[in-house]
Amino acid sequence: MEVDPHQDREAQAAKVSGPPAESDPPADTLATSLCLLGNHMFPDPVATNACTSINSSEPASLQPSDVSAEDPGPDARPPPDLGAESVTQDSDCQSDAPAHPAGRGTEDAGGAQSDSGEFVVTMLAKAKLEEQGIGVKGRSSPLLEAGIPEPPSFTSHRDEDVTADSWRRHRKHVFVLSEAGKPIYSRYGSEEALSSTMGVMMALVSFVQSGDNIIRSVYSEEHTVVFLQKGPLVLVCVSNSRQSEQQLRGELLYVYYQIVSMLTQASISRIFEHKKNYDLRRLLAGSEKILDGLLNLVDSDPSFLLAAVHCLPLASSLRDSLSQILQKAITPNLVFSILIAKNQLLTIVQEKTVIEDARLAPADVHLLLNLIGASSAFQAGEIWTPICLPLFNPDCYFYAYISYLDPPECTVCLLLLSTDKEAFYAVAECKRKIEEAMVAQNSLSLIAKAQSYSVSQVGVSDLRHFMYKPFDVPDNHRQLTQFTSPEMEAPYSSEEEKMRLLDLYRYMHSRIHSTSRPLKLIYHVAERETLLAWVTSKFELYTCFSPLVTKTCAITAITKLLRWIKKEEDRLFIRYPPKYSTTPNPSKSSKSSRSDQQDATDNGFLSLL
Amino acid sequence: MPDVSKMKKPDVKLVLLGDMNVGKTSLLHRYMERKFKDTISTVGGAFFLKQWGPYHISIWDTAGREQFHGLGSMYCRGAAAVILTYDVTNWQSLAELEERFLSLTDTANHDCIYALVGNKADLTDPKAHLCQDSGVLPEDRRTECEEERTEPQVLSTCPTPPASPASLSGLLLHKQVAREDAVALYGRILRYKGLDEKSSLPADKMCFETSAKTGYNVDALFETLFDLVLPSILRKRHEDQASPTVDLEDCREGSGKRVRASCC
Ligand SMILES: Nc1nc2c(ncn2[C@@H]2O[C@H](COP(=O)(O)OP(=O)(O)O)[C@@H](O)[C@H]2O)c(=O)[nH]1
Ligand SMILES: [Mg+2]
Repeated sequence: MEVDPHQDREAQAAKVSGPPAESDPPADTLATSLCLLGNHMFPDPVATNACTSINSSEPASLQPSDVSAEDPGPDARPPPDLGAESVTQDSDCQSDAPAHPAGRGTEDAGGAQSDSGEFVVTMLAKAKLEEQGIGVKGRSSPLLEAGIPEPPSFTSHRDEDVTADSWRRHRKHVFVLSEAGKPIYSRYGSEEALSSTMGVMMALVSFVQSGDNIIRSVYSEEHTVVFLQKGPLVLVCVSNSRQSEQQLRGELLYVYYQIVSMLTQASISRIFEHKKNYDLRRLLAGSEKILDGLLNLVDSDPSFLLAAVHCLPLASSLRDSLSQILQKAITPNLVFSILIAKNQLLTIVQEKTVIEDARLAPADVHLLLNLIGASSAFQAGEIWTPICLPLFNPDCYFYAYISYLDPPECTVCLLLLSTDKEAFYAVAECKRKIEEAMVAQNSLSLIAKAQSYSVSQVGVSDLRHFMYKPFDVPDNHRQLTQFTSPEMEAPYSSEEEKMRLLDLYRYMHSRIHSTSRPLKLIYHVAERETLLAWVTSKFELYTCFSPLVTKTCAITAITKLLRWIKKEEDRLFIRYPPKYSTTPNPSKSSKSSRSDQQDATDNGFLSLL
Repeated sequence: MPDVSKMKKPDVKLVLLGDMNVGKTSLLHRYMERKFKDTISTVGGAFFLKQWGPYHISIWDTAGREQFHGLGSMYCRGAAAVILTYDVTNWQSLAELEERFLSLTDTANHDCIYALVGNKADLTDPKAHLCQDSGVLPEDRRTECEEERTEPQVLSTCPTPPASPASLSGLLLHKQVAREDAVALYGRILRYKGLDEKSSLPADKMCFETSAKTGYNVDALFETLFDLVLPSILRKRHEDQASPTVDLEDCREGSGKRVRASCC
């Protein structure tokens, strides 16, 4: 997922690191180190157990893992009913060699684990240390034994018993810790209860770092563990969702960005420069729900996978009139005006000079939408909060004004971003103007009628669902990356089925974007549907058909679909995001004017240290 | 459709300060909507307008997390009243008021009034526990079920693990902050502000114990404050009509303790 336009030191480090063969000896010592670590971290009887279990499993699991020489266990094979798959690479047909599972099927995964730290240690010990740079290889199909989607639950996961089996069975764990090993966030279970687990992870990270390597991922037959280090923060994902390492790393990056959006990158680094073992939870306390919400969205909303925003289909005349309303309600230092309905974009209007050489990145929009979702408790009030847009500028704050325009329903939300932290009353005044204009034009009732569309409108039988993401084309290169997708309808109505379709899309996406063997066109016959993914220089397209569709039929259908999208594109996309000017004397260099205007201070954190 | 609040210029400003989870949002919600329901942790600050007779009172609910302290002084600028909130079952939340929040009030009006509010009194005080908010009955019932659902969370957010769920078993929690502690802090606040205890509002009147959950003392808190800021409203209205050189007027008409012009 190319959400990070910044230089990625980690990625570079990975490139310069030694050849894959080098990581076999470290893998061996790793077992010893994990064992020592087990002794160190768990001096109690349980810990001794953990240590023994590593020792005993070491010969089996930590041999130099030449997977191709292995006879894969029976349960590691894709079941025959999963269907056949033919892969076309640059229109050159070749059959896709069945992938091998990464680990060995010799040990019992369940075991007598009784501690979350032990769980991780055992899992890591069982796993094969994937050499960096190798990327996703030898993965079995993600469609096998993909984690059972959890029922959506709005109760807190903080109180979860981290020694319970149910804790281990979560589809995707996410942990954030500081370089000193201090827990910062855990998706399930409290950070306190998991501090030993996090310590293990950190020790692992520093162990590999000490060898001038950076640990990137660990595979076991059931789990993929992905590490991401960003500055003083280490993010870890333990997933049995069968997503690719790249995808999981992309998700960790979103988590990192959400943390930056609350604190800024500059203050995070400064805090840890000051005090290596600072407890960042002091600053993030209360933000867990924002991160929880983000991770739920990441799992359920393909916007994150596609790194594109989804706007609500709207007659272009209505969208234009809304944009004009926003354009007229401005005040100095206002830089973005965003209108949202049903958690989808209606329109974005931006200040000219600030945005001259930059545009709002999809990831920043995702973070904003997530923040709005997390603050819905204040539907009656008007929110004013600092927020950093990490891709726009990771070191500065914007001040976000958030207010609903249609209480008590609260589906239409106005988001105004200013660079001036004192501008609340001026910005709130803009909202009054917008509200007035919308009443005059009856906009709210028109917006209320807007809704996502049904795939049946396309008029192609057998087509069940699709996701279409056009790439920038020269004449609108300032445009926000968007995608369009119909409502998920039967047979994808239940949460489980929706998740299953998304998992299929994720699988197709990982194949298309594979670093080792990227594909342009994939025709995948699955058990209950047939999928076709296609990427060209103009677009990326994922389609889902009923199972019996032939390849030729699917291709004809896609031609029809593309024609339909072309016809509807004014309605499906925000075409020309309008701009306004709030600066009386527009400065030529927007970059410098931006840093002048913005509050580059640390928002007062340092005084707290 | 809502009667869109045409920019009623707020006449006066109240700010709720205090550590996260002490119940600031719940208190405001109880007062404005007559309900107690599970709240989502506040981000930044949330601005509310309350019509009080002919006056428009703005109330800022703040997040209380350190993350947002940079904005604390902005929320407090020109405030006529600051409600310093703590949780009666959590000693640390009172200490935090003095350590972290008091200094944020430096930008408040020079004649700003301070209220000290110990919330969650229902957990320690039978009187507050049994209090029935005067709200309509059916709504109270709904409140009741919502409470049951949020109970485990309430307890988990409390730093001192309570022995048992208070409202279920009828057992009350240990009260960590006695009223005398609050009264003593009130005295220190006045000293910090350079105010004379004799000419200021008495601690007796300005220290409250409330429960957002049962509604105990909540109306009394807000309405006492609204009444107390009335003079401030009248003075501001007078200034707005008088002349644009308000700053000078402000100093002359204020209590005269500190001759420093406040902006806004
Ligand atoms: N028992 C009890 N719980 C309360 C009371 N007020 C708030 N709470 C709970 O305390 C938690 C934090 O409340 P909230 O209003 O969000 O606190 P804030 O961070 O200060 O805004 C929530 O779980 C509330 O349900 C109260 O008066 N009594
Ligand atoms: Mg709050």
